[in-house]
Amino acid sequence: MRARRAQASPVTVLTPIVPGERDALESYLTGLSDAPGGSPLARVPGTHFARWVILPDLVTDPKQPAPDPLGSPHLLFTSNVDGSADDYLAAVADTLTAEAPEIWGRCVGCPRPATGAGLARYLRHNAIGTGLFFAAYPRATVQAVTAALDVHDRLVRLLVDTQPAGPAAIRAAFLKEFRP
Amino acid sequence: MTIATPRIRRTPPVPDLADIQGGILRAYGNDYSRTTYLFVNVDETRAGLRWLGRLVDDVTSARPWTAGKPATTLNVALTYDGLRALGLSAELLATFSDEFRAGMAARAAQLGDVGTSAPEYWDTPARAHVILIVNALSEDDLTGRLADLRADLGRYEGLSLMHEEHASLLPGVREHFGFADGFAQPAVEGVTDEKAPGGGVRDKDGWRGLALGEFVLGYPDESGRDSDGQDLPSAPAGPLGRNSTYGVWRKLEQDVALFRETLRTSAAAFPGGDEEKLAAKIVGRWRNGTPIVLSPDGPAADFRGNDPGANDFLYHDVDADGRRCPLGAHIRRSNPRDSIGFGELLSFRHRMLRRGVPYGPPLPPEATGPDGQQRGLIFVCYVASISRQFESVQVQWLEDGNVFGLGHDKDFLIRGPADGSGKMTVPGEPPFFLGPQPTFVTTRGGQYLFVPGITGLGAVAAGTAG
Amino acid sequence: MTVSEPGTAVGTATGTGAGNIDGQAIAITVFSTVKWWGKHWLPLLFTTLRLIPPLTRDLRKLSFIHFARWTLIRELPANGDTAPRTRLRYPHLFFESNFNDGWEEYIDAFSYVLTRGMSLFWASSYGFPGALPTGPFKDYIHRNELEAAHYYSAYPEATATMVRKALALAPAVADFAERAVRLSPAEFEGAWSAFLTDAQDLL
Repeated sequence: MRARRAQASPVTVLTPIVPGERDALESYLTGLSDAPGGSPLARVPGTHFARWVILPDLVTDPKQPAPDPLGSPHLLFTSNVDGSADDYLAAVADTLTAEAPEIWGRCVGCPRPATGAGLARYLRHNAIGTGLFFAAYPRATVQAVTAALDVHDRLVRLLVDTQPAGPAAIRAAFLKEFRP
Repeated sequence: MTIATPRIRRTPPVPDLADIQGGILRAYGNDYSRTTYLFVNVDETRAGLRWLGRLVDDVTSARPWTAGKPATTLNVALTYDGLRALGLSAELLATFSDEFRAGMAARAAQLGDVGTSAPEYWDTPARAHVILIVNALSEDDLTGRLADLRADLGRYEGLSLMHEEHASLLPGVREHFGFADGFAQPAVEGVTDEKAPGGGVRDKDGWRGLALGEFVLGYPDESGRDSDGQDLPSAPAGPLGRNSTYGVWRKLEQDVALFRETLRTSAAAFPGGDEEKLAAKIVGRWRNGTPIVLSPDGPAADFRGNDPGANDFLYHDVDADGRRCPLGAHIRRSNPRDSIGFGELLSFRHRMLRRGVPYGPPLPPEATGPDGQQRGLIFVCYVASISRQFESVQVQWLEDGNVFGLGHDKDFLIRGPADGSGKMTVPGEPPFFLGPQPTFVTTRGGQYLFVPGITGLGAVAAGTAG
Repeated sequence: MTVSEPGTAVGTATGTGAGNIDGQAIAITVFSTVKWWGKHWLPLLFTTLRLIPPLTRDLRKLSFIHFARWTLIRELPANGDTAPRTRLRYPHLFFESNFNDGWEEYIDAFSYVLTRGMSLFWASSYGFPGALPTGPFKDYIHRNELEAAHYYSAYPEATATMVRKALALAPAVADFAERAVRLSPAEFEGAWSAFLTDAQDLL
């Protein structure tokens, strides 16, 4: 597993869907929430929040003078990640070996098989730079966040459980839980 | 931080008080010590229409009384099932809000009505059609009026009286846990402007009441107020979209013995062992209603909730960290004023006109355990949007504490988690932790209601509403 | 409108389609078509906001956003013969956010608190009605919003506020644990009380 620099960055990849594949892709993606092991994105290290969105076409606002069609549905993948976008996309390609062929394998220009270095190159090729990125806690890795949340929950439980006990009992309970 | 001042200055719309039902914009007042809710089902549409048609003329409007207070008042609220049973067209029914159409029981999971609060344990009908609300000055007045209404109902085949819920004020206008209640109401622009300080919103000219359309349909709400006033909030089509409102009816059973017991045992570890102070920290008020943020060491002896200025207080500048009034105190969560930050901007669209009344006998002060009696509060509120006003408060502020920086802590007073976990932090030096959280309040019934204007009600009865 | 009716999700994540929800987290994905001058204006705005952090103070203070981004899309790369490089007629603005609490409350906060900011971001978009009043602004966002086919959060039960508090608390706990080992039970009582007093806003 690649070491991840503690600096959150955004990843945006927009790829054209092979004509006729949209429905199959959409149903595969919506089915991922019910996958037995949970979301496959949990396996990609450094993923804070991520999404796949089917973009049927770009918006045509009633007020815009002319339409601006993409001509085909596209797949939008975005993620908020630890470290650089390039490293992350390489990790996606290395990790989602079962899923990626079902997903980007249905996109135009994707190498076959849709895995490994070839896929990483394809994703990088279709990545879009971000104009402005906002991160509430930009220097915390996923690991740091989950560890901190765990400390919080354990401490609160300890506080409620031990409050009526005397200082000696509280000290013992605290050290049992948090001894360095 | 204040709300942006509208581009166009305008005079507030004048409410059509003769058409809006009474008891909504203003409470009938504490002289009406008794309230009964009659649940009527309409099994036969034509009978329902004829019955309602006769009833319309007796409905109490919001018009001020010039000839003294009537002995009783009568108001009519309808559920979605009721509107259907009364023959409204599918097109018209589709214009009511999603949550109203779903009904409260269908929203139970979102609202936190789970475990013993789940609809399957409710003791009032989960499906109801019409709720008549009768207020009376005295027991005799009530008895007489109810007898008339029952007799009237008996004249129609195809109508059934499903349930009667009797509520009455407790001495000193307290609720069952022993706290003065019901006076911190939102101010309505052009109606109750005198309540604006603390009950309205601040713009650059100071406090003003909230737009009428926040509470009565057919008038601009706080969103439309910012535009040219032509932009009206979502409402049912036709005559039902004017001078009407949505209502929320909930029967909330209170376990007073458990509340007292919890105070006793928790106060043993609370600094100073002060039970009354701990109770005030949980509620946010001393028992006589004094806000603890204004008076952290004890109640103001002369506090009266309905006095001018009694509701004129905020949290942020004097008590941002909750050392006086905990961030998780019940009144600070249910009406956070400027507590979330950004003045009232994140709270002023979530206000409700509350018209609740307690039910059941008080638990005697000397009682040391449960007495087997049922008691609680009939919670009633009126809003233009059930989802934005009632549900948002229930889900975002009471069922979860995140908005206030309290993680997933639920409101300690009224939302005990089914699994007995949960806590409340009482800030201090050091802080005090209340937990695990008991369930003091259990939902025993509930309905989402629509309260038409009197013209609208007449149109329903005449079959001309659409 | 491509977002389904609000689902039956339980919890604070309300007001959006089920595809946009994972635990407490809500995804919002919005595209809009940008007028010609937006291709100059938006990059300037982005750069300014990046260089002068105080300008995004209110965004930070709103505290229910984990991550958000604004991106201007002007062209798409070629993907083989069947998908040549596409220069779009207009720039398109892509906005995404990962936040918690309800959708309605989120957009209300944008409207009321970040009124000017929202106008700066969307002023160059066709059809933008202004951030206030909230009704038309919400309709606009709804119209241009897409529902995610799959949405994932690594810590779905935690809100942005909880994460930030936990990140501040964890080192304080570790630090106190270091000290506590060396404290006698008598010294511990005072130190524990002081620790809780300092840390209470994080609990």
